[in-house]
Amino acid sequence: MEEKIISLDNLSFFVNDLIKDNHIVIGQDSKEINWKRITGAKDIVVNSKNIPSNISYKEFVFAKTEPIIYYKNKKDEFDIVEPALPRQKLVFLGAKPCDARSIEIMSKVFNWDYKDKFFNERAEGSIVIGVACNYQDKFCFCTSVGLSPVTEKGSDLFLVPLDEKNFALQIVTERGKEFIQPYQKYLSDGNQAKSKEILSKIKNPEKRFETSKVSEWLTNNFEHKIFDNVGDICVGCGQCAFACPVCHCFDIVDEECDYSSGRRMKNWDACQFGLFTLHGSGHNPRETQGKRYRQRIAHKFKYYQDKFDEVLCTGCGRCSRGCPVGIDIAEVVAEINSLA
Amino acid sequence: MSGSNIYKPEMMEITDIVQETSDTKTFRLKFKNESTAKSFSFKAGQFGEYGVFGEGESTFCIASSPTRSEYIECSFKQIGKVTTALTRLRVGDSVGFRGPYGNYFPVEEMKGKNVVFIAGGIGLAPVRCVIWNTLDLRNDFKDVTIIYGARSFNDLVYKRELKEWKERKDIKTVVTVDPGGEVPDWDGEIGFVPAIVEKVAPKAENTVAIVCGPPIMIKFTIPVLQKLGFAEENIITTLENRMKCGLGKCGRCNVGNVYVCKDGPVFTYAQMKELPQEY
Repeated sequence: MEEKIISLDNLSFFVNDLIKDNHIVIGQDSKEINWKRITGAKDIVVNSKNIPSNISYKEFVFAKTEPIIYYKNKKDEFDIVEPALPRQKLVFLGAKPCDARSIEIMSKVFNWDYKDKFFNERAEGSIVIGVACNYQDKFCFCTSVGLSPVTEKGSDLFLVPLDEKNFALQIVTERGKEFIQPYQKYLSDGNQAKSKEILSKIKNPEKRFETSKVSEWLTNNFEHKIFDNVGDICVGCGQCAFACPVCHCFDIVDEECDYSSGRRMKNWDACQFGLFTLHGSGHNPRETQGKRYRQRIAHKFKYYQDKFDEVLCTGCGRCSRGCPVGIDIAEVVAEINSLA
Repeated sequence: MSGSNIYKPEMMEITDIVQETSDTKTFRLKFKNESTAKSFSFKAGQFGEYGVFGEGESTFCIASSPTRSEYIECSFKQIGKVTTALTRLRVGDSVGFRGPYGNYFPVEEMKGKNVVFIAGGIGLAPVRCVIWNTLDLRNDFKDVTIIYGARSFNDLVYKRELKEWKERKDIKTVVTVDPGGEVPDWDGEIGFVPAIVEKVAPKAENTVAIVCGPPIMIKFTIPVLQKLGFAEENIITTLENRMKCGLGKCGRCNVGNVYVCKDGPVFTYAQMKELPQEY
């Protein structure tokens, strides 16, 4: 893999150039809560020691809420107007390895057979500039789902902090290579030995479970008290799904409608909500919180894997860090692992 | 890769409405756009998303046969927001439609075999689709038996067609109501569907059974069919779950790793048995 060096100053110039060249650069905010559109070099927060932001950046490719059609009623003849989707050149700057693969993972469900253009128009052509992660708390478990704090998987370009002022810039994909081409002037020749040494010193979170073992156990233990035990604690707020970089369930509802006009929206939804699967008849196939929690775990560690050959989890730990009642997904899955 | 908007409905016009029961209606719908009407095709068992602007969309099967391609029909019970809005519509009004979605009944493989249709309540809607498909190609199939039941006479849907099927000599039609659900001049059977199946079902040899209805009916009918010798592969049913997209994206209709909207709604009992009990 080709490797260059970019100084912090040059990173600022580079980002300024990107913005000038009509790229939409998305970076983590300084309060470590959210991701936002960067308007200038002053907004750049690329720090390998940062905690993963409270919320992932998935909303930039999978909007929290967005219109899928507008309608107008003209004397009982309906005109359907499609929302304009401007082609955006998105650049995600400073994605930790637990974020970098999120678009790739979600892309599978948005593209099997039917293709969701609302996702694709944003996701296709987006560039991920990842950064090695040197943060770790008890909720981190990327190594349990096939990632690591130092993996370049999912990134087109990957930053490794060399010292206070310099990053190594690894050119991971062909797309990344093409993308960086016009900005060569900000790069100087790298020394792979140094970045390798730095990466080797980063401590991995402890591996808590084997996904293959967990998946197999889930196949054979659809009915198990562990789900009800967690379900009894869960308040069904859906925070876990909204904070997750790869949860992708949504609702379709008509909003702001009256007789003459309105819009149909696609909104984030969560499998932990009681109404999520409620039938019109009153029957609910997942009528208890335990069954809904089982869905959450099984979707992530079995169904998505069966269907798309991906674990629907990046080990970022956001769901656990933000859980108002202290449910730790890694703890639950580690317990499953110990049962298997 | 991006292409068209998969959530955009096609506009259809209601050309006929039948009040099936006090709370159930059947709409006949035609595409407003002629080229859509020409290019549209579907197979028996597939479903669609039917929408009323300002209220939302609901999922129903296409209840008419693909052999009658100039229109589609859907039957629905007034139960929530969208179906209440649909109920208010009149002939000439517009309905949004997305589809056809999902898999379908193996009509081609059923050719040359006997077919027994078993339905309960509004579960006759998806079965009606494949019944007419079969009857419109009558010579391709051997013996055809229809067994239909509802809680009461008033809950029987497609009454006009039930009469037509009963009068036909080339099929056997048995209609039943639950005990207590009959009316004074009732000339059909009285009893629950599984019991009637046991009494009148054809022999299992070279026969396919299509079973749709409330879960409780399916639960008690399948053991009867098995007792009669039907193989699990020859018992075919449909699952339904709440859906929003119908396209395998929104994430709510799955039963285990199976999306009802894409891998279903049609399943053989052999396939259903493999699924976790979550439907």
